[in-house]
Amino acid sequence: MLKYILKRLIVFIPTLIIISLLAFVISINAPGDPVERLSKSANKEGTASEQSSATKKVKQEIRKRLGLDLPIFYLSLGTLADPDTLYKVEDKAQQDNLLKLTRQYGNWEAVQNYYIALNEALEVTSKLNTDEIYQSISTFTLEEKMMDDSSYTDTIYSSSYSKNQINEAKNNTNFDILSLLESYNQEIIESKLLDIEKRYAENSFLAPSQEKFESVKTAFNYLKENASSWKTYVPKIIWYGNNQYHRWLFGDGGERKGVLRGDFGISYIDNQPVSAKIWKKFTVSFVFIFLSIVLSYLVSIPIGIYSAYKKNSGFDKGSSVLLFILYSMPSFFIGTLLLYMFANPDMYVWFPESGFQDPATFSEDWGMFKKIAHHWPYMVLPLITYTYSSFAFLSRIMRVGMIDVMGQDFIRTARAKGLGEKKVVLKHALRNSLLPIITVFANVFPVAIGGSVIIEVIFSLPGMGLETFNAILNYDYPMIVSIFTISGFLTVVGYLVADILYAVVDPRISYS
Amino acid sequence: MSDNKKTQKEKDFSFRKYAWKQFKKNKPSIISFYILILLVVVALSAHFIANDQPLFAKYRGKTFYPAFQTYFNSAKVDSTINPNTGNWEKLQFDITDWKQLELESVVWAPIPYSPEKPDRYNREYVSPSAVQYYKNPEGKRVVAPGKFRHHLGTDAIGRDVASGLIHGTKVSLLVGIISMGIASIIGITLGALAGFFGDKNLVATRFRYYMTILGVILGFFYGFIARSLSITEGFNNGIGSGLLQLAISLILLVGVTLLLNMFGKLKLPGFLGKDTNVPVDSIVSRSIEILNSMPRLLLIITISAIMKERSLTILMVIIGITSWTGIARFTRAEFLKIRELEYLQAAKALGYSNRRTMVKHALPNGLAPVFVSIAFGIASAILIESGLSFLGIGVPDEAVTWGSLLSLGRQEFEAWWLVMFPGAAIFITITVYNLIGEGLRDALDPKLKQ
Repeated sequence: MLKYILKRLIVFIPTLIIISLLAFVISINAPGDPVERLSKSANKEGTASEQSSATKKVKQEIRKRLGLDLPIFYLSLGTLADPDTLYKVEDKAQQDNLLKLTRQYGNWEAVQNYYIALNEALEVTSKLNTDEIYQSISTFTLEEKMMDDSSYTDTIYSSSYSKNQINEAKNNTNFDILSLLESYNQEIIESKLLDIEKRYAENSFLAPSQEKFESVKTAFNYLKENASSWKTYVPKIIWYGNNQYHRWLFGDGGERKGVLRGDFGISYIDNQPVSAKIWKKFTVSFVFIFLSIVLSYLVSIPIGIYSAYKKNSGFDKGSSVLLFILYSMPSFFIGTLLLYMFANPDMYVWFPESGFQDPATFSEDWGMFKKIAHHWPYMVLPLITYTYSSFAFLSRIMRVGMIDVMGQDFIRTARAKGLGEKKVVLKHALRNSLLPIITVFANVFPVAIGGSVIIEVIFSLPGMGLETFNAILNYDYPMIVSIFTISGFLTVVGYLVADILYAVVDPRISYS
Repeated sequence: MSDNKKTQKEKDFSFRKYAWKQFKKNKPSIISFYILILLVVVALSAHFIANDQPLFAKYRGKTFYPAFQTYFNSAKVDSTINPNTGNWEKLQFDITDWKQLELESVVWAPIPYSPEKPDRYNREYVSPSAVQYYKNPEGKRVVAPGKFRHHLGTDAIGRDVASGLIHGTKVSLLVGIISMGIASIIGITLGALAGFFGDKNLVATRFRYYMTILGVILGFFYGFIARSLSITEGFNNGIGSGLLQLAISLILLVGVTLLLNMFGKLKLPGFLGKDTNVPVDSIVSRSIEILNSMPRLLLIITISAIMKERSLTILMVIIGITSWTGIARFTRAEFLKIRELEYLQAAKALGYSNRRTMVKHALPNGLAPVFVSIAFGIASAILIESGLSFLGIGVPDEAVTWGSLLSLGRQEFEAWWLVMFPGAAIFITITVYNLIGEGLRDALDPKLKQ
């Protein structure tokens, strides 16, 4: 037995690794850049350029702290043209685009040069100052202007371009370069380059930045001419010793300790440790799941036994139909109906509509009974919703299993021996029909961590389901990866526990 | 049994006929089956049952069939001469409000409202029994005549609930059938391979084994890494072209794998030429275990949340590729059983190829229990779709589905019709599929043959 358990535990490891990796891959492909989001809350004072350099620094720090400046996994399969160090590029959108360009032209050197030239051009154009340009291209004139009752002199600049025109030309150029940084289609790039060239020809005042633009053009032409597309058809495998997954598992040797030592990272939403967050929410969900499982077992096992014992009786037929109807009811329908009936000012207001406690009156210092007394009205409706479907499901399983067992020879033998009906049913038959019920029990924990999304959203319960739902909507990936890994772990453990319980209930099953 | 004494009846015996007879005996299941056919008919003719364009209309001496014309050509533009002025008047079928025209004669659809078009005279949750208004062709706002009543009420912006339910049928049935279609293709293939070959029955030379693994990696490279640009561009141009590019990539993956597999047939001496077992069963069983250890609803929500575009097609594909494990398990168990039966041994003894034995002999006999699993799978796929629409994930905002109607009811408790009717529709469809599944199980299970 012990050997069997050990063997199963060893099989866990690859399963868990693959689950966490899958979750990791999903999170990497998610839209949005967490660094952007986290840096938005950073400092917002100072001039524009100061601010931008400050944000840049903050972003770098965040990237480093989250480990996003590392490659994703130990191995990466790419084309021969792919650079080894792409992950070092800071902006996620630019990183994507660089990869696309490289996969198109197959020449990393040339792509890199083109990008450097683009970035330099962007820097120069964004430094252009409208006022300075305006002053440099205009001629001073002093004009006397007559107003109604007073006269004053004013300096008027006269120029062939108005300030608005200059601003527009400058901003358009800037915008075009920015969009060049994110385009990979050759036709689009060429048409944009033409646009910018035309603008330079029309607006001579942009000249200070033209030199850089020319170098962008040369770099792009060089890229076109020196494309080596054959490289994109040759596979290459790159090995990275230090990567995000490694860090997630083992920690970075400093602040983060890694999953293996119980540290699931920090949430992108509020910078809180994920494990603390999950634990807090897990207890709420667990209370519901546990109570509902206990309730449904308490009700469904007797119903299952009785209807199997009195097969084809009125009770059996009636309960079968009722259970079937309950089983086919979607939980969000039942939940909404319950709210409509019992938490609706137009019908009955027996229970509160949502939440788990009243923040105005609830106090942490209360004794346990007072807390329970406070919580229970909040729990009735969600508990019914949690329970009814599993209760219908369990009774049906119990009934089928019981009918199966009741028809077997050893039951007839027990009766022939002269045992009382009570003993035959409750001792001989029941124990043997428990196997399928155990399978369901194995799923309690994983369901607690993820399966209750819809119910918790309907009743706004602050549990795992709602937390997960919010994490998904906000792309909070450390949270999602952790939830997947934990529920995967619990499911596998659940299966193992079920297998061991099988052997306990049925001595014929042995794993040695 | 001696052959020449077979009666006509025994000769005609086929399992299919027998199962159908058994199925017909099961009253709830056969009723469900007829309800399902009715639902399919409703879904197919939804455009003509609930439409704000009339089926037939005569306007200024010219006859139109707007509902039919928009069905076959959605951008149909037609014109007519106004006899009063003698001018040409353009009628744009898709945007004309036919209720405001002075039509000479007209045949309306049974429900003269389209699901996504608001009726501005009946906004703010009009109950089925409340006073409803209607603007007649003379431009007067009157109490709606029976034909133009919203029999199941309206939502906040005046969309007809009955019409939404009729068109929602299409969505639900499509989701169920397509996602389970995808799931069955994956599940039956993998389950059949795992059950038929097990861990020991597929023997290949080491060289061929390694070449096939290399083929999968290379195929993945050429299909999805070298072509990553084409796939992204495809999805930028629309879901259709994106899925097409994805299909090309899949074909490339299979093609490269097969090519290297063929190449692996080369006879080599030494270590590489020796035979080895391919652990098909272990690979499939492990993947089933892994997929089963992930919370399925969460997985579907997460994947649909990271998709840039929300569309029903993508949702169906996601549900399909995450729901095949049950089917694979059933197929595998059935094939494990069949593998040991005499007729398969006979096929093997006759020297039939593995492929022929599997496809022609094992598959037709092994599929029966899988249908049960597919029927239950469709029920749960519909449940997942309506659950996701209820949460507002994965389904486009403008799409009217049963789940999205129900979630509108959750926001406004006064509107009980927004809760009851969609809820009942979901419940009926799921019950129908579950009952059919039960009936199939009873009809196909040899244990119950009495």
